[in-house]
Order: sequence, then C-alpha cells, then structure tokens
Amino acid sequence: MRHIPEEELHAYLDQALSRSQCVEIESHLAACERCRAERDAIAALRDRTTALLSTLAPPRRIAPAFEELAARQAERDARHQHRARNFAWAASVVAALGIGWGASGLMQPAPSAAAPAVATTAPQAPPATPRTVATPTEGAVPETPVRLAAARPVPARAQPAATRSAVRAPAADDAADTASAAPAPTRLAQSPRRPAMLEVSSGRLPDDDLRPDSGVWRTLSLDGARAETGIIPTRIEGLPIMQVQVRGGQRPVTVVAQQLKSGEVIRTIEGPAAEVSSLLARNDSSLDRTPSTSPWPTVAGGNASASIQGREGAMTLRRGDRILAITAPLPSDSLLAIIRRLNVETRGQK
Amino acid sequence: MTDELEQLYQTTYTAVVRFLYRKVWDADRAEDLAQEVFMRALHHRPEKPRAWVFAVAANLARDEARAAIRRKRHLTLLKTEPLVQPARTESPDDAVEHDEELTTVHEALAVLTPRDREVLLLWDAGLSYPEIAEQTGLAVGAVGTTLARARKRLVDAYERQHPEASQRHAAHS
Repeated sequence: MRHIPEEELHAYLDQALSRSQCVEIESHLAACERCRAERDAIAALRDRTTALLSTLAPPRRIAPAFEELAARQAERDARHQHRARNFAWAASVVAALGIGWGASGLMQPAPSAAAPAVATTAPQAPPATPRTVATPTEGAVPETPVRLAAARPVPARAQPAATRSAVRAPAADDAADTASAAPAPTRLAQSPRRPAMLEVSSGRLPDDDLRPDSGVWRTLSLDGARAETGIIPTRIEGLPIMQVQVRGGQRPVTVVAQQLKSGEVIRTIEGPAAEVSSLLARNDSSLDRTPSTSPWPTVAGGNASASIQGREGAMTLRRGDRILAITAPLPSDSLLAIIRRLNVETRGQK
Repeated sequence: MTDELEQLYQTTYTAVVRFLYRKVWDADRAEDLAQEVFMRALHHRPEKPRAWVFAVAANLARDEARAAIRRKRHLTLLKTEPLVQPARTESPDDAVEHDEELTTVHEALAVLTPRDREVLLLWDAGLSYPEIAEQTGLAVGAVGTTLARARKRLVDAYERQHPEASQRHAAHS
C-alpha cells in the first residue's frame, strides 16, 4: 500500500490540491492509521510555523485610505506627464508671450505709450497692442483681479493681426511645434493624441458674473473652496492664484483666476456642463458691447489662428457631464496645450 | 476599474507590510514600501494584481537590502542596534521575553535557504501554490516539497536556539 508522501499532505492541508486528489487522499486516510498520524504531525508543524511567523509582525497601524494612495499616485503620474510635456507647454507659452512682446515692441516703440493701456477701457485702447504683454511690469502693480480683468478684452482688428502673424513667423521657427504659426491648430486637430471631445469655443471672460457682489458667486481661498465644496478647484500648478470663486453647492462651478508672469489672467473653470457652457455663452453674447469685425472663429476656420492670436480665447473640454474650460488671452494652441495638461493632471480625481 | 485594486488593498495591505517587514526588519520602512507597491499597482494596473503586488514587494525589499549593505560599508562604526522595537503595550518582563522570542524566530528564519524562506513567507502572506510557483520559478508540484522542508527547518532551528521555549510550547500543547 502506497502511503501519502509528506509534501502531498502539506499540499492537502494547504488546500492546494484538486477535488479529486483530495478525495483520493481522504479515502486513503480513512483506511491508514500511519498516514493519519503523519497528517496530524504535519498539521501541528504547520500550525507551529504559522505561530512562530506571527511573532515576526510589525506593530499594527492603521493603513492609509486607499483614496489617499490613489491621490498620491495621480499626483505622481501628473508630475511625470508634466515633465514629459514640460518643454512643449513651456515653449508654447513662452513663444506666445515672447511673440507678443516682440510685436508690441515693433508697433509701440515707446513703452510709456503702452503703459496706460491697462487702466484705460477697451474701446479707446490702441487696438493692436496685446496690452498686458506689452507691459509686463503692470503685473506687479497691485491691481485687483477685477480691474485687471476689466481692462482685458479688446477686439483685435483683422489687419494688425495679419501684421503680427507676419512678424511672428521667424520667431516661430525657434519655438516648439505646438506654438508655430497659422496651421498649428489644424495640425493639432489631426493629431492622434487629441482628446475626442476637445473643442475650441469662443468665449470672453465671465467678468460680470464673477463680480464678488453678484451674490451668487463666492470668493474663497483655495483651502476655503476645498472645505466648502469638498473638491480642490482645478487650477494650473505653479502659477500664483489671484482669485478662487465658487458657485453652487452640490455640483459647484469653480473658477480659479491665476496670473501669468506677464500679468495676463488665465481662468480655469470647471463645473457641470450646462452651467459652464451657459456661463461661456452668456459672456459670448456680451460681445455686442464691443463691436467686433467677426464672431469668434472656430479652430477649423481657415485663418483661425491669425485671428485668435493674442486675443481672448477660450478652450473647453467635455468630461462626461462636466466641462473644464480655460480662458486666457493666449493663442489657441497654447490653450490647447494647457487644457490637455490640466486634463491629464486632474483625470481620475473626480 | 479601481474596485479590484481597492479590494485587494483592503484585504492584503497588512499582509504586504508583514511580508516586507520580515525582509527589511523596519516597520516604518515596510509601510513605506507597501504603499509604494500599491501606488505602482495603481499606475500599472496589473492583470493578476495579488501576485504582482508580492512580486514587486519582493523586488523592492531586495533593492532595499542591497542599499543597506552599501550603507553599512560606509558606516564603519555602526553600533549594533536591537533587532526589534520594544513592544509597546506589554509589561517590561513580557517585552523582554517577546523580544527574545522575536529575535530567535528571526534567527531561525535566517537559517533557511533564500528560496525556502521566500516560499514560506509567500505562503504565510496568503499566496496560493500556483502564485508562489510563478513568483519563485518553481514547479507547482515543488511548492509543497519546499514548504514541507522550510517548515521543518524553521521549527528545528527555532527549537535548537531556544530549547526552553519549545519545552514551554510542548507543555502548553
């Protein structure tokens, strides 16, 4: 009679055998006293091992919440993505600002002439000047966010825009691909990495709605907004925050205004799709306050890039029933680069 | 898609910490490494997350041990620290006894061959025979043989070093 090998009894007790192997062993055990004794000895050895090993345990502490790990990992992923895209993103913004600076230098030889532009209201301003770019020192002036915002929008005229694209052509050779001239948006549109729902939409900054006294919006600190809504408002890492505004409770709309080095304001808007799009649309309709030669072009338009250049642009990204939008006086490809980056950084944090 | 990993985290985190602790012998470090393992899992989304988690934990512990050896080479005046932190809730006498026992088990574990030790620790961490086989490169059929040997050697080594404890154990049982 074949007795059960030792390792098979270990496997049997460890429940590592198939059902039929177990049946075979059990019927043998029923008939064989020697194997039963062996099984009991092995069971004792097994328990003893487990007991000995159990002394080798660290003091038991509470595990961090899984969400905390997930958040840490999302942050890390974003940093890696960020590093990978850092060049493209930095280059696109630097190129956009640098080009604006160069262009204004050509067209506005006297810097002092450009300086008052921030304080003047839009219609009287010299139209071709990307004003906030032309006077970077203005960014340091303790303007309130609202005033900065109020000074911003000007309808660019077709002719100076064309001049500017002519001026920027040589500079663009040095710049990263994402920031290069007119055809860029079209090329980006063909890029396989383009998120499916990405679209350039027209938009003006929601100045009126964002006035602190509007009663609907609340201006909070970043931490305050977090405490109030339970979410961290989407924003661009590394830029000083000028203002955080929140509307609504359960599914809030958050607007974070941040300042670029040049003093321009970039706003990140995040919230339920209907609310964000109506916010953008409402500001769109307010265009008639300042007569414009053309409504906002879409990125598919032939000369889209030239006419968006240096003007107030908005980029929206739909994520399920929410919309992430940014508005800033930057070229559409820079906005595209920024919103892509934001999308990557904030994905999975919903 | 997070659900499976989250569930694994809830059920396995403590086992991963323990598994790592038995390799790096530092509770804080074991926790740091365990969290690192799960963060990597979140990034990689492995197909067989449980086996993957322990494989990565084993790799991290190995890297850690190598780094520790390098550090020791530089620290010539390394004073010998007690192997384990004193247990917190026990009376001093109990604590001393607990420490002794711990040290003895640790030394007994060190007697095993690296492969036997690995199989034993993986089994104790809750891995199945096929999972252990995959991670160690053994045939599934060899896992039982290895475990049989490892268990016997661990208990033998412990009782050789700590005869009173084994007598006490015999008296208890």
